[in-house]
Amino acid sequence: MGFAPLDPVLHNQLRLAVVSLLIAVDEADFTYLLERTGATRGNLSVQLTKLKEAGYLEITKGYKDNYPNTRCRLTKAGIKAFERYVKAIKGYLQ
Amino acid sequence: MNTELSPQESLRLIEGMIGQARRSFSRMSFYFLLWGVLLIAAMVVTYLLRDGSEGWQNGAAWGIAGALGGILSSIHGARESRRERVLNPMDGTITALWGSFVITMVLLIAFSVVNRVDATVAITLLTGLPTFLTGRIMRFVPLQVGGVLFWMAGVAMLVLNAPLATLVLYCASMVMGYIIPGILLKRYEDGLRAA
Repeated sequence: MGFAPLDPVLHNQLRLAVVSLLIAVDEADFTYLLERTGATRGNLSVQLTKLKEAGYLEITKGYKDNYPNTRCRLTKAGIKAFERYVKAIKGYLQ
Repeated sequence: MNTELSPQESLRLIEGMIGQARRSFSRMSFYFLLWGVLLIAAMVVTYLLRDGSEGWQNGAAWGIAGALGGILSSIHGARESRRERVLNPMDGTITALWGSFVITMVLLIAFSVVNRVDATVAITLLTGLPTFLTGRIMRFVPLQVGGVLFWMAGVAMLVLNAPLATLVLYCASMVMGYIIPGILLKRYEDGLRAA
């Protein structure tokens, strides 16, 4: 039996960090993800867009206390993809 | 942060990030400190205003403390929710837990005032439940210890069965169960926010 292929969208340090953070919470804003991942704003924006384009992430742009606020939450497809990724990773480790 | 990952690194990253996110609770120390101070004040006032035969049935101090605490908690909660950067599903569970506790407390105090019975023991025993469970959910040991101390204080009140002992035990359990864990929780939250 061969190894299951790893999802290339998730097999990236920053994107995997973002999805792992979001899997444990309902939603988080851009600043929270920025602080927890230690990424730069530009890089985080690019990776969030890639996750959104893959259908794994829902991004809501709005305002909070008159300041722009970007909130992110995983879609069902994102949760499924993460579960498949973890299963595949465990397969590699066994 | 875009380097190639080995399976071990992927798993470590996942575990680390999930661990961080699970610790991202709303700030709760304010509520423990506020209610700790208000309820000690209510207990002391009730004790001082007692007139022998029905002193413990005076629910005015509890009512005022409850109303003041409710207003201040609502204002603080509304302000904090505007600052919230992450929505943790456990926050909802903790809110529901304390909401159901408040409903039970209000009914219990109303019943005790109407029937002229002292509800301090029941309140103390009941307070142990949400305090302990909040500590368990947050994996914050001082609150779990606080919950156990409320139960112990409630039992000691029943055994000693004296107004002064009840006053001392109630205030001590509030300090040990709300105020000290509240101070420690504030330090913990400040540390998380700074991290």
